[in-house]
Amino acid sequence: MKILNEKRVVPLLLMIHCRLVVGRALTVNPSSSMCENTHVCKPNVAEQTRKLVVLLNATAQDLFSIYLDCQGDPFSSHLDELCNANGTNFPDFHVNRTSHKDIMVALYKVFAFLNASLGNITRDQEELNPMAKELLERLHNTTKTTRGLISNLTCLLCTDYKVSQVNVTYGKSSKGMNVFKKKQQGCQVLRRYVQVVSQAAQVLLPHLSQA
Amino acid sequence: MSNTSRRTTVTKVMFFFLKKLLFSSCGYIIPESPVLTLGSNFTALCILNESCLDFGNIRANQIIWKIKNSVVPKEQYRVINRTVSSVTFSDTSTLATPLTCNVLADGQIEQNIYGIAVTLGLPPEKPENLSCIVHQMSKTKFIMTCTWNPGRDTFLATDFRLKSQWPLETLPDCEPRGVNNSCDIFNVQFFVNLEVWVEAKNALGKAESEHIDFDPVDIVKPLPPHNLAVNSRELPTVLKLSWENQITVVVMELKFNIRYRISDSSDWMEVPPEDTASHRTSFTVQSLKPYTKYVFSLRCMKKNGLGYWSDWSEEKSGVTSEAKPSKGPPLWRKIGISHSPNSWTVHLIWKELDRSEANGIILKYEVTVRPRPPLSCPPEKYSVNSTNLTLNLTNGTYDVTVTAHNRIGGSPPSVLLIPASNSKASVKDIKAFPKDGKLWIEWTAPDNSVVKYVIEWCMVSDSSDCSTEWQQELGTSQGTFLKGDIKPFKCYLITVHPLYTNGQGNGQSTKAYLQQGMPAKGPTVQTKKVGKAEAVLVWKPLSVDEQNGFIRYYTILYRTVSGNETAVNVDPSKTEYTLSPLSSDTLYMVKMEAHTDEGGTSGPVFTFTTQKFGKGEIEAIVVPVCLAFLLSILLGVLFCFNKRDLIKKHIWPNVPDPSKSNIAQWSPQTPTKHNFSSKAQMYPEGSFTDVSVVEIEADDKKSFSEQDLKPFNLLKKEKNTSEGHSSGIGGSSCMSSPRQSVSDSDESESAQNTSSTVQYSTVVLNGYRDQIPSVQIFSRSESTQPLLDSEEKPEDNPGGGENATPRQQYFKQNSSQDETNTDGSHFERAKQVTPPVNEEDLVGLAQLQMSGHSSQLCGSGPERNKTESALADALSPSTEGQILRLETMGINTATVDEIPKSYMPQTVRQGGYMPQ
Repeated sequence: MKILNEKRVVPLLLMIHCRLVVGRALTVNPSSSMCENTHVCKPNVAEQTRKLVVLLNATAQDLFSIYLDCQGDPFSSHLDELCNANGTNFPDFHVNRTSHKDIMVALYKVFAFLNASLGNITRDQEELNPMAKELLERLHNTTKTTRGLISNLTCLLCTDYKVSQVNVTYGKSSKGMNVFKKKQQGCQVLRRYVQVVSQAAQVLLPHLSQA
Repeated sequence: MSNTSRRTTVTKVMFFFLKKLLFSSCGYIIPESPVLTLGSNFTALCILNESCLDFGNIRANQIIWKIKNSVVPKEQYRVINRTVSSVTFSDTSTLATPLTCNVLADGQIEQNIYGIAVTLGLPPEKPENLSCIVHQMSKTKFIMTCTWNPGRDTFLATDFRLKSQWPLETLPDCEPRGVNNSCDIFNVQFFVNLEVWVEAKNALGKAESEHIDFDPVDIVKPLPPHNLAVNSRELPTVLKLSWENQITVVVMELKFNIRYRISDSSDWMEVPPEDTASHRTSFTVQSLKPYTKYVFSLRCMKKNGLGYWSDWSEEKSGVTSEAKPSKGPPLWRKIGISHSPNSWTVHLIWKELDRSEANGIILKYEVTVRPRPPLSCPPEKYSVNSTNLTLNLTNGTYDVTVTAHNRIGGSPPSVLLIPASNSKASVKDIKAFPKDGKLWIEWTAPDNSVVKYVIEWCMVSDSSDCSTEWQQELGTSQGTFLKGDIKPFKCYLITVHPLYTNGQGNGQSTKAYLQQGMPAKGPTVQTKKVGKAEAVLVWKPLSVDEQNGFIRYYTILYRTVSGNETAVNVDPSKTEYTLSPLSSDTLYMVKMEAHTDEGGTSGPVFTFTTQKFGKGEIEAIVVPVCLAFLLSILLGVLFCFNKRDLIKKHIWPNVPDPSKSNIAQWSPQTPTKHNFSSKAQMYPEGSFTDVSVVEIEADDKKSFSEQDLKPFNLLKKEKNTSEGHSSGIGGSSCMSSPRQSVSDSDESESAQNTSSTVQYSTVVLNGYRDQIPSVQIFSRSESTQPLLDSEEKPEDNPGGGENATPRQQYFKQNSSQDETNTDGSHFERAKQVTPPVNEEDLVGLAQLQMSGHSSQLCGSGPERNKTESALADALSPSTEGQILRLETMGINTATVDEIPKSYMPQTVRQGGYMPQ
């Protein structure tokens, strides 16, 4: 698993280094590192968050398709067998949530996991397919969008929903894996990402509209 | 040895030598190589080493500060102790580099101890006016460019950095490349608020701009839509546009501006923005003109209005579908000359419809000619592909309709009544003038409702005929621009015809110029009449082609050679002008200018000289002078006449007439026939001495009637048959010049020449025809000497045989032409003796003649004639039908008798008349 360099994320990642953690939302704690340096959210952050989810949803499928194309056989031909989403620890996103706060927390967990996984995938693809410019560009764009989404979610949780800490889980680190495993793990994560972000976009629209 | 260890060793060695070098100098300056703010104060210290104190005996008070090569004034020095000297600059702008610390070694030798480089500059100012824009480079690529005002020049290396951060994350700085006022951020993330600011930093400090906070998606300038397509629909008034947006809707929704124009127009129209305020990829533009080519273009921006409009997309064109022509073609007619009195030729002309009115390609025109009662002909239809039709119509009234047809259908008909009487009301107050670069014609509509107006116009020119053009306007209009190739400086004759339902009104015309200029030339002026104080100038008006505008007035400019120029404005309708008052006998230069509204042009200069005398002045001088002259002559003549005796006495004394002298002694047999005078007594009966002179002016012969000339002709005959000559007695004038005798022959002329010296006439007594005069012949001597007594005797005359010839009782005397009359008035004088004359008459004549010889002092013709006529009257009983013009008037016998002394002729010549 990639350890993100961002200083506000690093302490969190260090804390959950190389192990899975089931997160739960905590009340706001001014001393919490998550909410450090958090200012008052601007009114448009909720809308921005929804648009980011929509944006990720709009680009997720293309990212996954390009990823598959770049990995070659047997991934493109045996997608279901090799890229079973159940093979990852991708956080679930339940569409039947009605609480805005829970939705925000769930989104935070999903995209925190995705952000860390995209780091691993990007690093692996830079090694495996350094000439796959479009794939790498899309990975970079998605990663940055995800980071922006996390920033907005953090702002919303800390200021609007008074959540100062969220327990998040991260996937396995691909370091030390063979090439196939690296590719397979990326395929599994991205496939699941496509499904989850679609659900999130559907769920988020009415809630954010009400908000 | 590894590279690292080798590098370390070299560094240590260099440091050693540097330290050795530093320590070997006698001192140093602090601060070392300072960066100073311009305008601030600065103090430097020069610290001497103790070793130099010992070995060189150098003290701080010996230190000299120098800037470059200039010594700093010692007032700025301060010796802190024996090893430290300071120098202070209150304004660092006077500083320069290097600043050195020196001492005078051994009293005079200046040695440098240490030097520093001083850097001057300013701290950075706070960057201002920070703004950012996100340019869309491709569908997924965006670049955010932020610009700011970096402030004043710091004269130092200043680092500008564009800093940004999300709410919970700081993003990498953007470092400008090659510039200090902008920076581009790639990989822009939308929907996350971004805080941006600029930090400027140099050796003297740093400054930070105001922070701006925005979502980058709100400052996007998107790429314009592309792949624009224009498609026509069945409706002839709509076109559908479709395009592709280059930014995904998940990034932003767009709104659009759609503009369009007719292809041959440059004026854009725009679809109402509210119709295109939503995100879309197509739009149907309505209310377009049928069969018209339109050009479209569109642009986009974020739907909520944040950000920037994209550039306009590429232009695409489309043509709407065809529709029926919207109106009939403008229709007019020209009535031609008919060869038959019962019909006339009509040239129907119509104009092609505008593209906007044709609504398609006109395939044909249909013309219907429908006669009105009482004509009962059926309507005639013509299908025409051109725009004119010539008809020969029977006299009557017709309704002519023309419709234009395209693929979809026909136009509404254009109707014209032919021939329309001009009895209807015409337009009023027609005016034409240039407006907006075109020629505008306006009029006041008649009271009746007008269906339409036809405006005819043509260019008036001397070199070409007036080729008429026309256009049609709605009946509601009261003005229009002339649609055609209207040229400047040309005169246009414009006529407006109002057309009514049942006729038309008289055309009203006016002239106008689109643009006036100065006349091409000025009028050529010349004089018609020049007087003493005035001159009548005439000129030919400029032709229309030369006028270039309306001639408002003429200006006549005239001056003398040295005088000032005088200008006179003349109405342009005139072609003649009288200049006055002018100086007499003076050269004038005159030229003429023709003026339009735009200026005037001069014609050639014409010169003339006024006359010295005015009209009638010469007559007023000459006539009185002549009258005075004539009057004086008349008075002189009267005086002479009245004083003729006195004059004769003093100027022309009586010459003794030989015939009066002692003739009785010479011819004692001669009886005295009359006693009334001594002269008569001297002539015997049957003999006569008669002298008659007939003067006939050669040129005036015709002035005499034949009856008048008859006696002269008879006399002439006789003279021609006679060789006898007689010179007039007293052939001299009152001017005392000898009078020559006149003969009818050349010989006689020669004789006259010789007789010019004869003072006395030759008296030849000769018989009449076969009559022998009983008296002797006396001839006047040609000598001027007085006769001697001895010579007076005939027998003493040794004259020879001629004197022995029988003396004739007839003598004739010819008088030569008066030489005083040689100035052009030629008179021929002839003296004729009337043959049937009695002695008494002859004697009387002789007396008269003799007296007349001495009465020629004044010699005026008229008077002579008067006298002669008087004599002729006196003689008329015996000289019937004959006019005797006696050269002289008789002198009273008393005067003759008083002559105390007489002279005899010296010679006696035989007269030219030989006895028959």
